[in-house]
Amino acid sequence: MTTTDIVVIGGGILGASTAYQLARAGHRVTVLERGAPNREGSGTTAGNLHIQGIHTRRPGQAVAADNLRFLPLQRTASTLWSQLPDELDADLELTRNGGFMVAETPEQVQELHQKFDLETQLGLTCEIVSGDEARRRMPALSETVIAAEWCAEDGYANPLLVTPAYLGAARRYGAQVEAFSPVTGIEHDGGAYVVRSGHREWSAGVVIDTAGPWIADVAALAGIRLDMSPVAIQMHITTRMPLGTLTCLVQHIGAGMSVKQVGAGNILIGGGWPAEAFRAHGRSRVATDSISGNLHQAAAVLPLLRDLRLLRTWAGPLAATPDEMPVIGEVPSSPGFFVAGGTYAFTLAPLWGLVLRDLVEGNSPLEPVADLGVDRLVLDAVAHQR
Amino acid sequence: MAASEDTVAPSRLDFDAVVVGGGPSGLVAARELATAGARVALIEENSELGGQYYKRRRGQVLAQYGDYRPDGTSLIAQVRHAGVEVFTNRLVWGTSTDRSLLTTSTTSPDAVRFSARAIVVAAGATEHVVPFPGWQLPGVMTPGHAMHLATTDAVRVGNRVLLAGSGPFLLPVACALLASGTEVAAVVEAGRPLRPSLRAAGSLRHPGMLADLARYLTILAKHRVPIIQGARVHEALAQGNGHLGAVAITHGQVTRTFEVDTLATAFGFRPATELLQLLEVDCTVDATLGVPLPVTDAHGATSVPGVYAVGESRGIAGNKAARVRGWLAAAAIRDRLGLPTPSAQQMRAHLRRSARLDAFATLSSELYAHDRRALLQMPDHTMVCRCESVTAGEIRAAARLGWNDRNSVKGATRAGMGLCQGRECAATVSGLVSACTGEPVGCQPARMPVKPIPVSAAMALEEEIA
Repeated sequence: MTTTDIVVIGGGILGASTAYQLARAGHRVTVLERGAPNREGSGTTAGNLHIQGIHTRRPGQAVAADNLRFLPLQRTASTLWSQLPDELDADLELTRNGGFMVAETPEQVQELHQKFDLETQLGLTCEIVSGDEARRRMPALSETVIAAEWCAEDGYANPLLVTPAYLGAARRYGAQVEAFSPVTGIEHDGGAYVVRSGHREWSAGVVIDTAGPWIADVAALAGIRLDMSPVAIQMHITTRMPLGTLTCLVQHIGAGMSVKQVGAGNILIGGGWPAEAFRAHGRSRVATDSISGNLHQAAAVLPLLRDLRLLRTWAGPLAATPDEMPVIGEVPSSPGFFVAGGTYAFTLAPLWGLVLRDLVEGNSPLEPVADLGVDRLVLDAVAHQR
Repeated sequence: MAASEDTVAPSRLDFDAVVVGGGPSGLVAARELATAGARVALIEENSELGGQYYKRRRGQVLAQYGDYRPDGTSLIAQVRHAGVEVFTNRLVWGTSTDRSLLTTSTTSPDAVRFSARAIVVAAGATEHVVPFPGWQLPGVMTPGHAMHLATTDAVRVGNRVLLAGSGPFLLPVACALLASGTEVAAVVEAGRPLRPSLRAAGSLRHPGMLADLARYLTILAKHRVPIIQGARVHEALAQGNGHLGAVAITHGQVTRTFEVDTLATAFGFRPATELLQLLEVDCTVDATLGVPLPVTDAHGATSVPGVYAVGESRGIAGNKAARVRGWLAAAAIRDRLGLPTPSAQQMRAHLRRSARLDAFATLSSELYAHDRRALLQMPDHTMVCRCESVTAGEIRAAARLGWNDRNSVKGATRAGMGLCQGRECAATVSGLVSACTGEPVGCQPARMPVKPIPVSAAMALEEEIA
């Protein structure tokens, strides 16, 4: 049995960011990852930094996300992202060249203005421009765009680089990264948790469950029943184009769409379109209808996409909660057992790492998160309420 | 070939059987199915049927040099006569969960879904190239490409060519190059197939194959082309103009340099199994090649009911085996569709012939056996993924981090993420990662589209729904 301070379960971006912050603060940290790190949602995501208010309903999403609650978190994350390449001493292909969220109908323009008012109240600097002004700034936008909101802080980073950079930095601060180590058992042994992976055991006072779509499965090993609703979504990427083909991230207020040109030159087209059923083991299948649906939607706003070549599509999991809001905090019935997950984890990862560090250390977190706690997802409590 | 074969009005077509790939195995399967009364679609990505083996000469080349491989011409004629609906210039790029095949025209983007009670995958093979320093220089190509230029196009590949790599294919290529008037400096073979051995004696059971071999060796001897066995290319060197100027080979402890303007090199072939992977048939990993191989019965039936693998997609065994495999799959499908089946005697004869050809393929790969690990010891600066400019050293560094496996090395380095979708480098990446981590050789999984397609072709799928 290895004795450590903290076991982090899940080597995605949240586990890596948390391990980094805790190791840097002097804690002994072990990260247990069932496969290779960064191979699930964190490595298959689009890598957008959503700083302006999000489009709250990805295709097929039953419950809308709460923009008002997200915005302060996004703002703090924005600042943290700016420092990240220096902090981790790594090239993350971080690009902060702003982003448009476009509207194609009067109703969408109205929604854009409501969102803008909310953002202004919260102190975020955005700008709503006419379709013509948007096209002047970004000629690739189609005539169907009648207005757009501009946020200079929007951007993206390369998801294939961020988690490994966090893990590398965590390792430099002494964290142990144990890949190919699926957790097979968690027990509470009086003062500490005993976490098992096959015949290996770790004893730690604190366990942090950042297992993404498998959060509930990991928690179940500790006797905690959580309600998560993981789904699989899909991405589409074109062959490489000359840099400058697209100058910034483009999203849509009324539809699932995120399009940008990544560092290598490929155009990445996403927007949370559903893949086939989420598979707990192996990759989910890409859905044919979502390929054409997402591409149609994106090409309506960016007609140049029609003339490009589709290189690859892939599906990846999304650790969604039933209420579509993030979950972060200690499980009330299990002191020392923390959970963090939910959607927009890529944007929020630098913040969630710090918040978890603060919570573990018993300090007041950088952003208040009491309302995003685990209790709302504990199944027995949910059943009791019903 | 009628132009109408390229353009298909309805966007959803249903057949008794769909055959993907118009090479020897696909042609035989389609002919046998159609002859028995099945409604058969044969989909071919190229503008002509025939595949790689029965490539067609056209226009002036045909007029001046005559038909190339006339038995292919007659097989294609039989397929058309049997009433097979032929779709040329059509790429099968994906599959739906209902197991329909997603296709687009390679000339004018569209979307046509093919569904059928039986799918025959006859997607052929890719040449197995292993990178070495300088392999990306102009003047370096695969033997298959050199063969195509010399035979189908009847053009000279270069002035002086070195053939290198491994496998029985190098010899007919050398002969074809000589026939086209190209000087062949040498054939550099990594194995030692022509060394007398107990194994080599096994080839006496395959007199037809031995006759082919004797013919090739006679031609090479007549042109005084040396066959250097147990040697491999060490480095390709550029001239002042950036074009290939010389090739250094390692032969035991000795390094030799050949001044040539062309190098044609590959280590045989790898089955093309992307479509089979997308159809989610059970596969095993061929650890030598770093590719998934479908698990099939003697008829090519896979683990997915109604999906058959034939030809080289079922495992490398050559043109003769491909034809028999096509026949055997058709026989099983005819039974499945309730159509007249071949006699028990015919069935036994084809099964026997198939087993004998498979045995020859096994014998051949044993005869050509060479140290594959040595091939993976290329220097760190060797460009492995040409599309994304990833070197062997970068791949090794990612593999040695301690937390990466085959697939996460792809993510960490971008190796295999480029335009060729890993067709060139993925097997090498698999081998390099395995050599560094000690893990069993893995594979790069197939993703849609099987080959890059116009965005508008993918969008056309929805127009069809509407």
